[in-house]
Amino acid sequence: MSIIDANVQPHFRYNAEIRRYLSAPHKLRSIPDVEQQWYQAPGGDYRQDLYGDHYPGSDPDTVARHLFDEGGVDLAILNPLTRGNIADYLLNSRLCAAINDWLLDRWLEPDTTGRFLGTIRVNPEDVKGAVAEIERLADHPKMVQVGVPLQSREPYGKPMFEPIWEAAAAHGLPVAVHINGGNGVDHAPTFAGHAFTYPGYAAFMPLNSFVHLATLIIEGMFGRHQNLKFVFADGGYDILTPLMWRLDTFWMSMRDQTPWVDRYPSEYLPDHVRFCSSAFDGPTDDSHAERWLNYTDKADLLMYGSSYPHWSTSSPDTVVAGLNDVQREKVLWRNASDLYGVASHVEGSRS
Amino acid sequence: MQAGKFGVGVYNIDGSLYAIANYCSHEGAPLCAGYVRGTTEFAPEMPDQIRHVREGQIARCPWHQWEFDITTGANLADPRKRVRTYEVDVSDGQVYLTA
Repeated sequence: MSIIDANVQPHFRYNAEIRRYLSAPHKLRSIPDVEQQWYQAPGGDYRQDLYGDHYPGSDPDTVARHLFDEGGVDLAILNPLTRGNIADYLLNSRLCAAINDWLLDRWLEPDTTGRFLGTIRVNPEDVKGAVAEIERLADHPKMVQVGVPLQSREPYGKPMFEPIWEAAAAHGLPVAVHINGGNGVDHAPTFAGHAFTYPGYAAFMPLNSFVHLATLIIEGMFGRHQNLKFVFADGGYDILTPLMWRLDTFWMSMRDQTPWVDRYPSEYLPDHVRFCSSAFDGPTDDSHAERWLNYTDKADLLMYGSSYPHWSTSSPDTVVAGLNDVQREKVLWRNASDLYGVASHVEGSRS
Repeated sequence: MQAGKFGVGVYNIDGSLYAIANYCSHEGAPLCAGYVRGTTEFAPEMPDQIRHVREGQIARCPWHQWEFDITTGANLADPRKRVRTYEVDVSDGQVYLTA
């Protein structure tokens, strides 16, 4: 079976490498390190076996060998981290542009096999800059989505962000939301403040996805933009069903406050929302997996994403354990193939 | 008025008579004990994007605020969740409901 890995984080070889892609006025500014983060995963954020002379996930040949040759993946969507929300939002936009130029220069353009596709990173705290960056790169054939941080000081359904989503939708690019690297100007990671340990952080951080998702629905963003699609690339789909039930229930009672929401909130999911798999989501007992995935029709929403080279990298086998054949096919490649319009590539590589 | 097991609400809307069961399709609340009011529709041209419409035509359940159009019995959020309606006739000062 074909496999698309919809969530891979390529890295710089070393933190300062980004400076080579910044213009003169920004080259000497201080910039958070990608691993500057107050919650440290056990043994570091990345797979310990991948640390060498350079950063994990920083050598295209090594990544290709791990994903394609050893992992059986046919196509990988690269979504590099940026450096958090930086108080100087104009500097942050230049960092996003530098990361995009680096992704093209080091990964996408040298790759002659067509197996790496990329993400246009933008800074939502600079709406004009984000739109300009989408316009600059949207036509590049290997750029297949727009990337923004999960960390945001306002939920993404707020109208201030609308020009960014509008630009992405106009170019047919889904918007991927992923926890960012580098600690910047952020809110506390949980609704109740700062977690005590890494498990507290990792368990609750993905709940923030739902805040973005709920506001995108309730504030009418999906209703206004038929072509707008969001990918929540850090999991959170295990809490999707109870929270959608809650949203549907409240909508029945208070529909009159948001008359632009003209259907059950959960009915927006198939046309507008996808999730990437996460090692932390889903039942711990595989015998529940098949039935669990059917709640809220998650088999149509979920795409395999490895999170390579993160410490919690998950293999295709572990993600689809316990699923039936139809569910496996959707999760491993069909949903991603439909979303990114890469069917011809995947079909061509099927053996 | 008393009729059947739960009673029926009879409404005069602009001179026309309508009747709905006093029984919400959600959890059986006494629907007719709630407010009668209007509802909203999406109006992108308005400053708040909301227009108030159908004043006096909407029964609002007193328990969970579900909205029903008294003239059709339809729930405004999900038309499949209807409340029962009756035909109303008045003859010689007597009100007749036809199920």
